[in-house]
Amino acid sequence: MASTTPPTPAPNTAPPKPKPSQPPVSILPTQFARAYALAHPALLLSLVVYRFTSVVENPIAELLGDIPYLVGLQAVYVMGCLPPAGSEKDPSGSGPDASEHKTIKKSASISALRRRGKATGSASWSTGLVLVAWKLTPALLSLTLTALLATPVLAILLILFGAPFTTHHALTFLCAAHMALLSSFPLIYTHGVDGTVWREVWGAARPLDAVWGGALGTCIGAWLGAVPIPLDW
Amino acid sequence: MKAVPANLLVFAANVLIPVGILVFSFGFFPYKPLIPGLATFGRSEYVPPRIFDKVIFMVVDALRSDFVFSNTSGFLFTQSLIRSGAAIPFTAYAGSPTVTMPRLKAITTGSVPSFLDVILNIAESDTSSTLAYQDTWLAQIKAKGDRLVMYGDDTWLKLFPGMFSRADGTTSFFVSVSRTLLFTQSVLPRKLTFFPQDFTEVDTNVTRHIPNELAQHDWSCLIMHYLGLDHIGHKAGPQSSFMIPKQNEMDSIVTQVYGAIEQKPHLQSTLFVLCGDHGMNDAGNHGGSSAGETSPALLFISPKLQSLGAGRDSPVDAIDELQYYRTVDQTDITPTLAGLLGLPIPLNSLGVFIPELLDMWHLGSQRIQLLNQNAKQFLRILKETHSAHSFDDSTVPSNCYAGSQSGLDEVQCAWSRAQRLLRQDDAATAHSIHVQAEIETALLHFLEVSQEVMSGAASNYDVMHLLLGTCITGLAVLFSFPDTYKALSGHRHSGLFLVACMLLYGAMMFASSYVEEEQQFWYWISTGWVFYLHVRSFESQQKAPPQAANQSTHSAAYLSHTMGVFILAISHRILRRWNQTGQKFTAEPDLARIYFPSHQGSLWFLVGLTYADVCLNLINDLTPSFIWPLLCLAVTATCFTFKLVFAASESPELLDETAVRSVAALLNGIPLVLYARVAMGGIVLLLLASRFIAKSSHSPHRRIKGNQYPDLPDSQVATQGSGNDEPNIC
Repeated sequence: MASTTPPTPAPNTAPPKPKPSQPPVSILPTQFARAYALAHPALLLSLVVYRFTSVVENPIAELLGDIPYLVGLQAVYVMGCLPPAGSEKDPSGSGPDASEHKTIKKSASISALRRRGKATGSASWSTGLVLVAWKLTPALLSLTLTALLATPVLAILLILFGAPFTTHHALTFLCAAHMALLSSFPLIYTHGVDGTVWREVWGAARPLDAVWGGALGTCIGAWLGAVPIPLDW
Repeated sequence: MKAVPANLLVFAANVLIPVGILVFSFGFFPYKPLIPGLATFGRSEYVPPRIFDKVIFMVVDALRSDFVFSNTSGFLFTQSLIRSGAAIPFTAYAGSPTVTMPRLKAITTGSVPSFLDVILNIAESDTSSTLAYQDTWLAQIKAKGDRLVMYGDDTWLKLFPGMFSRADGTTSFFVSVSRTLLFTQSVLPRKLTFFPQDFTEVDTNVTRHIPNELAQHDWSCLIMHYLGLDHIGHKAGPQSSFMIPKQNEMDSIVTQVYGAIEQKPHLQSTLFVLCGDHGMNDAGNHGGSSAGETSPALLFISPKLQSLGAGRDSPVDAIDELQYYRTVDQTDITPTLAGLLGLPIPLNSLGVFIPELLDMWHLGSQRIQLLNQNAKQFLRILKETHSAHSFDDSTVPSNCYAGSQSGLDEVQCAWSRAQRLLRQDDAATAHSIHVQAEIETALLHFLEVSQEVMSGAASNYDVMHLLLGTCITGLAVLFSFPDTYKALSGHRHSGLFLVACMLLYGAMMFASSYVEEEQQFWYWISTGWVFYLHVRSFESQQKAPPQAANQSTHSAAYLSHTMGVFILAISHRILRRWNQTGQKFTAEPDLARIYFPSHQGSLWFLVGLTYADVCLNLINDLTPSFIWPLLCLAVTATCFTFKLVFAASESPELLDETAVRSVAALLNGIPLVLYARVAMGGIVLLLLASRFIAKSSHSPHRRIKGNQYPDLPDSQVATQGSGNDEPNIC
């Protein structure tokens, strides 16, 4: 019988997944990093719970006022828990020798700093300060990119997904800014402007690490957040 | 052999679905027992003297309460009547479905119409919905031997065939389906008197009869039903600039009628009722159960009412959402009118006499008698519906004094209490005012409680049938499951998405907001799905590493892919805002109603582009012969002209002054129907010619797809819309 023949399966013969150009981002191996990486989502959530009523009452003022705190929390997270772009050895070898050289030099200088800190003991806080100062540059750079590039792009995406085009611009931009801080800031901090990685990020081909998983969660959460719009209670 | 059961299952599923729907419908549209015949007064029954001899019943379609009572109203004279006490104002709750015919049924019979009446409202040719054999206050007037006269909406003529001595009906239907009507009328030779539609002509058709009728002595009931306000609502919404002038016009008719009642001796004892059959929502539509749709205005007007000495403030602010003064039920009009005109209350009425008008009778015994008649009439329906309850005068339910009864028990308690008080009143011949007031309160309480119970019962569903229908449909789903699974198992993600989509859609039906705002679900899920597909294809493109040789073609394909997705997203976003739909956001600005009327250039550019595109496609579809392109051009030009002329007559606001004038010059006395016939004829000609040319030429320039021809007239007709109602992207 003709209909006994099973339906032709879809060409699901996808080629084996190519290795991502960058390995999954792992949390720094320090004790503080591990602890804070766990505490960070809890802190973010408690911020939401704490400020929720005022967000409902006066969204623009509250979202604007929350941005410094969010920047602070995210900055502590990325600087304390994540490796900055280019700090890890590039396995694909696409990076030029100079960067590799620089990385090695950087690691060397860090270990030197640590050694010195251990040796002197009393100067450990100043070592930490130097470490922070060393991480501050990529953090500031990625924050700038988050504000100037990721926020407008996300705002355009929000409008394409249905946000008002002619009104409520402030709200849309604030929403985009919050989303950018949550998703793009860690991504830019860890991956810089590596085009290959960003194409993987857009194509959903990144391994599910803390950074990309967080970004995915932010975007899916924003999409799911539209569900109650038709309700009138 | 395995396939046979599968095919059988699919066949069974397809048979079961209509069966399930039918069974469900039996339960959803229950048969309501109606008491046949006309009500009469008992032989020995005392009938309180009537207050009015005649009634002028003026219905203004979609007259929402705030159109009359708020401080932005155009009803200035009517408001002065409210202040002087000559008009008693109410908000009359009009239950869903808020469309004209069920509402007229409620007003005239006093019963609560079901959703089945909505279908009958649309199926206009249907005569089973006629009220000719039902008890109405119109039938009561007629039975008394008096004459009735009707001008306005021809729904009245359909509901009451043969009822009126004189009548002139206007059809109310062309607003919503003007397009359909145009084409049925271009086929059927019907009169198109109103066709160059404006908002005044339907009403002047009613108003022109008024002076004549007010001079006549022969009628005792004059019904006027004005449609213009509803038309404005449908076309431009309640905030339209046409609204206030229309309200002023309606107010001037109130002035005219009231002046006649004051001056003409034969109208001295005439009651003037002004009411809306339903309201409208913020987009100007109706049919649902939002506050705007269910809150029409109701006024009883007569110089005699000033004797009550109850002048009220006007204009006032709404107490609740659109609730002005006291809210009564629309069905209450029936017993109140019957009482005031000295008629028996129609048998199936579920209305309660409006207490504010009771004081027109000065004797307490007359007031009690009126309420008693209303209560007895209610009791008859109660007994008919709930035969298990005896509603005996003597039996008093034991739990009456417990305080917390509900439903029928409460009705029983209220009835026995009222009867006890009445018997006391009979025993004590001295009618103290205090006791009479108590009896009135008790009877009104009984009436209100019964109304509540009976209104609920009227729309009661037959749960057994509902369940059975649901089970049968469920069985159909079960039967189709194996085949569906087989079809979907090959497409993992799409299948999963489809199933999730269906489950979500089903779950959505449990929240009324999601039912009303269904479009939001589809916007949401489709954007998400398109984005997901884009991400997937993006990923698969990444997997194919660009070769050095075809680097440029690869990047070109990549670019066009990205641009395609972007354009798709933008056009989807534009379509989302083309028309506001649903309930919640209907009044929000959109492209069709806000942008295009103020940017007519872009509107007509798009319309022109559509026609040009259709024309080019037509020309390219066939062998380049000499006559074919000319024919296509001619027909397209005719259709475009027709579109222009149609827009100029139906929605002149879409064409600016000079354009309207030039189009009117183009029209130059040629009726619109002729244009429609020429355009339709042209399309038919095109269809025939294409067949002829395709047959005669053996070497077609391009292969003709068979399905192109059925599409052809559709695409031309579809562009004949009123210009702003739907996207002209076909």
